[in-house]
Amino acid sequence: MIEVDESTLIRCAICGAVNMDKGKKNICRRCHSSIKDKHFSTQKSWAYLITGMIAYIPANMYPILISTQFGQTEGSTILGGVIFLWEHGSYPIAMVIFFASIIIPVLKFLILIYLLISVKYPLGKDKKVTKHKLYYMTEVIGPWSMIDVFVVAVLSALIHLSMVSIVAGTAVTAFAISVFFTLLSAHAFDARLIKENC
Amino acid sequence: MKLENEDALDNYIICHQCLTLHEEIAIADGSHACCTGCGGVLYRYNTQRIDHGLALSITGLIFFALANFFPLVQIEVLGTEQFITISKTIFTLFESGFYLVGLICAFLIFIFPLMIFLINLCVFALLKAQKGKKITKELLVLLAYITPWSMTDIFLVSILVALVKLIGYAQIHIGVAFWALLVFVLIDVYLVKRIQIFEIWMLHKRIFAHKDEV
Ligand SMILES: [Zn+2]
Ligand SMILES: [Zn+2]
Repeated sequence: MIEVDESTLIRCAICGAVNMDKGKKNICRRCHSSIKDKHFSTQKSWAYLITGMIAYIPANMYPILISTQFGQTEGSTILGGVIFLWEHGSYPIAMVIFFASIIIPVLKFLILIYLLISVKYPLGKDKKVTKHKLYYMTEVIGPWSMIDVFVVAVLSALIHLSMVSIVAGTAVTAFAISVFFTLLSAHAFDARLIKENC
Repeated sequence: MKLENEDALDNYIICHQCLTLHEEIAIADGSHACCTGCGGVLYRYNTQRIDHGLALSITGLIFFALANFFPLVQIEVLGTEQFITISKTIFTLFESGFYLVGLICAFLIFIFPLMIFLINLCVFALLKAQKGKKITKELLVLLAYITPWSMTDIFLVSILVALVKLIGYAQIHIGVAFWALLVFVLIDVYLVKRIQIFEIWMLHKRIFAHKDEV
């Protein structure tokens, strides 16, 4: 018989097995993958998050779509595209792009910043469960911000005639990098930290 | 709490959404257990899980092949016909110099989804044959790493968004591959979101409990 303190039990992120926290280096007893080291996880998460946020700036400044119509070339930024769609009455699509490209990334930045700060400092009187739900939500909705990148890829593959063509703009790369690093940041964040400090 | 030994921890489960600790209990065939903290599903129990998983991964692979060999959509602009396939979408990005985005897309909408289904197929086949305890473990670990990076569902929605943008400018014909991709996405959502990796580990444990490590 061994005595186990329930609060020290941790969940392996890879296979879901319950493990005992044995200090610095934890190896899952079932799948043998290492369970995140809590001492480094916020630093990594911060680094990815900041990279993602920096990449988000050019993603909004440069054109994401360059369309050529009868010799006239025109580039449109993410926000410009949303406004164009809205003015032309495509409200649902304008909303989808607005949510996927602006609301979700910004919300993700804010939630991750909030969670990362709340791990270090006793910030927010929210319940633990709320914070976990918040984190889980960012993991689920986060990938959906890739919509705009895929839309641009589809449009540029579909429309390239001699007269009319659509080409992806520089912002696509910046945006894809931004989404990629925000996802990495969320994965690097250790949800266990929420439990320990609130 | 007191435990017999460390392996007795297998009788416990931590909710993946809110990290509340629960003791695993036996539930009826076809039902599921919910978390007391957040209400999310903890695990399901189904005696036909392996057969379902096997059938679904094979069906999924067939539809994925269909989705790749035929055009997704065809449009008519100014009298010219244009069509796209999954590979054409990726190659256009490469051709216009967006190597990084092309590479990311290739992984998110082709390589990872394909790998997920192949791994699922192998895992369920091995579990069915009750062979390969070690390789199943390794496959399950790999599966856990790539699962968050498969985005065919998002790609499907993106195609629809792109098409709606083109309404009024071009005549649109939805291709066979689009429907195949839709079926693939539905199976993917079912396989990945419903049959959680945790449950496959539970099966793994039940099947290999009395077998020695080879
Ligand atoms: Zn594990
Ligand atoms: Zn829960």
